Amino acid sequence: MSTLTVFKAKKIITMNPANPVATHVAVQEGKILAAGTEAEIVGWGEHILDETFAEKIIMPGFIEGHCHLMAGGIWQFIYLGYQDRVDPDGKHWPGVKTLDDVLARLKEAEANLKEDEPLVAWGFDPIFLMDRRLDKNDLDSVSNTRSVAVVHSNFHLMTVNSAALKLANYVADMGVDGIALGDDGTPNGELQEMAAMFPIMRRLNINLRELGRSAGSITDFGKVCNRVGVTTAADLINDLPDEDVAVMTDLTDAKEYPIRLLSMLNGLAQTADETRERALELAMKSTDKLRLGGVKIVTDGSIQGFTARVRWPGHYNGAPNGIWNIVPEQLNELVSVLNEAGVQMHIHTNGDEAIEAALDALEIAKTKNNRPDLRHVLQHCQMADRAQFRKMSRLGVCANLFSNHLYYFGDKHYELTIGPERALRMDACQSAIDYDVTFTIHSDAPVTPMAPLFTAWCAVNRLTESGRVLGEYEKITVEEALEAITLGAASTLQMDHEVGSIEVGKWADFAVLEDDPLNVSPENLKDVRVWGTVLSGDLFKIP
Amino acid sequence: MTTRETPLPLTVLSGFLGAGKTTLVNHLLRHANGQKILVLVNDFGNLPIDRDLIEAENGNLLTLANGCACCSMGGDLFEAFVTALEFHPPPDQLLIEASGVAEPARIANYARAEPDLRLNAIVTVVDGENFLSSDRDHRVEHVVEEQISSAHLLLLNKCDKINDTQKEEVHRQLQQLNPFTSVIEMVNGQVPTDLVFDMDTTSRSSRDVAVDLHDHGDIFESWSYQTDQAFQLTDLRNILENLPPTILRFKGIFLAKPDLERWTIHKVGSLIDVARYTGAASPRQRSKFVAIATKDSGIETLLDMAFSDLVA
Repeated sequence: MSTLTVFKAKKIITMNPANPVATHVAVQEGKILAAGTEAEIVGWGEHILDETFAEKIIMPGFIEGHCHLMAGGIWQFIYLGYQDRVDPDGKHWPGVKTLDDVLARLKEAEANLKEDEPLVAWGFDPIFLMDRRLDKNDLDSVSNTRSVAVVHSNFHLMTVNSAALKLANYVADMGVDGIALGDDGTPNGELQEMAAMFPIMRRLNINLRELGRSAGSITDFGKVCNRVGVTTAADLINDLPDEDVAVMTDLTDAKEYPIRLLSMLNGLAQTADETRERALELAMKSTDKLRLGGVKIVTDGSIQGFTARVRWPGHYNGAPNGIWNIVPEQLNELVSVLNEAGVQMHIHTNGDEAIEAALDALEIAKTKNNRPDLRHVLQHCQMADRAQFRKMSRLGVCANLFSNHLYYFGDKHYELTIGPERALRMDACQSAIDYDVTFTIHSDAPVTPMAPLFTAWCAVNRLTESGRVLGEYEKITVEEALEAITLGAASTLQMDHEVGSIEVGKWADFAVLEDDPLNVSPENLKDVRVWGTVLSGDLFKIP
Repeated sequence: MTTRETPLPLTVLSGFLGAGKTTLVNHLLRHANGQKILVLVNDFGNLPIDRDLIEAENGNLLTLANGCACCSMGGDLFEAFVTALEFHPPPDQLLIEASGVAEPARIANYARAEPDLRLNAIVTVVDGENFLSSDRDHRVEHVVEEQISSAHLLLLNKCDKINDTQKEEVHRQLQQLNPFTSVIEMVNGQVPTDLVFDMDTTSRSSRDVAVDLHDHGDIFESWSYQTDQAFQLTDLRNILENLPPTILRFKGIFLAKPDLERWTIHKVGSLIDVARYTGAASPRQRSKFVAIATKDSGIETLLDMAFSDLVA
């Protein structure tokens, strides 16, 4: 037998109801041999007692069920967001609160660049800088000669300086949607939607898809996870060509890579039959630390971008209904094909009409071929009403709710996108519990920052940025939220027999905390400090 | 990044599932008239090419014997345009077959913004048989309407499957959604390639500037004109803005007053594009114009008169 290590902790929150709290956990061959009191553990024989965590709290490693590898690579650009963030190397980036802050940060970054490098920034959100829009003149004050591009937090807008406009020949009114004009009738630097951004991005070599692909990005992604206690994370859309799978396999195989990574195949890039074949082929390539075989299907857009598919009565401000990425009729076919073959689906649905279409497709598929071995997941699932939760329950479909939205976009949803009644019931964790729908909650990083304890805080407190409580009824308890970010997420990823709780036989994957989340007030859940993680028994202290 | 000498003309082919886009793509590739057409396909990877056209197959890229190619683009427009602009050998025409739910105007916007692209046309195929059907999915109604209203060329397919009263009703509804574009009836995707693409009039011998209508002469007629005369941009724009929708396509390369630089002008549906010519200089520089119209549109008289007024 290999070495037996016993970690002693101040408290171990196991998520195993038969043994909810422990003080010791024994680890062998990367797995949990036993959790309990010292007396209950010693019977396993000779062991090394590790007291690193004697004053700390151990929980099952947190699981981020919906994020993107780009959350690592995006940091090669300068952060310009309103909220504070921490980069993969632990550098704290204070949020920029005024236009002066924005320009000061850009100037500082500009001074460090080589002569021919463009200055690219991300995370900027104009809705928090109310005085006026950022424009080319502001950015010209950063540089007249170097191209400056500020990508907004939603990735659908960017603001550039005159040097960048000139690159793409945007010098006069071209009558193109998305090239915003200033008072003088010339482009003011703001570019809306990809068509207008494409010429600049192409010339400055900004390729968002590439940001998730490089070895450096995947390494940085691991660091991002480690900093917030995450030991398993799901990258929720990827084209997964063989060469990328090879890179991911090598990186994750290494002992020093701190997480188990799941990556879901883009289900809209090929025919239904080809997607099925590729998914089954990818599943065979899974390892202990890289899990493949799931498929992501994007049905609609986003609520804040007014591109979600919303049922009657539509948007609160009267904006037209959003977009489909797949014809509902085609969705029915794709879902049936994948379900029959035993491929797990993660279906992106924000609006309630998209949720309805996805549930209809799943109902058809499951009526033809009930596969109790499969758990399909509605991702985001933000506008589901209680009838839809009842239908999820009947169909055995899981939900991954976007709780971070309550804080980041909740005010906008209340005032603008869907109005008070539907905003108060969005991301309805309590309804999921009421109808016994297996669920988790997520960040969609880098759209919002990854931090499961923050996401749990959102689900517990349902507070918006401005301090409004967005629906008292749908609040859940701290215990329930902690289960959502561990065992709940593990279930939606069909890994609940391997991770998500601290009990015999599972991987020794832990989140190690300085404070007890069950012993702080619920309003302070997000402030619980993270020491680092343990993966397969190996320690990953935050550097 | 590769930059192009002349912008790559983009044609967006839209139409709902089953409208007949695939048949049209095959027809166009069969009658490419010496042009290298690159087709990017979006309907989740189905490459719609008849086997007999294929010369080589490599992953999701099909190469045809006539120099054309077809590639599946996986739904990501950014990648699709990067691929098209870096494609080797550089194509003469780019055709994007939009997915059934795509709003073609969004795709067309790339060509309006990108200097290395030029919007040739949004071509929408309408399924004549299904268009009036009452069991159409209301959830995709707005997409179908957008595809029709933003089109510069409307091709009504499967006309042989509906009666005259039905056909009239389809025409009426299409006209209501898009009053600027005339509707061309098509059976089995048969339309002249020159009508869909903007054929470069300079690439043919100077004696032959006429449009190639193949065996479509019973439905269409064409007009062409050459002169050493130079023109004011505004005069030509004026002519084009006042053409009736029966004149489906107009294109020209011409000497512009006052400095005699070469410019190009295109019209299809409501889309008019005037731009400085950036291609290689040819030894003999004349102004050349061609147009395609539906049969019996009076195109000859109309355009001859318009131009004689200018030249006079």
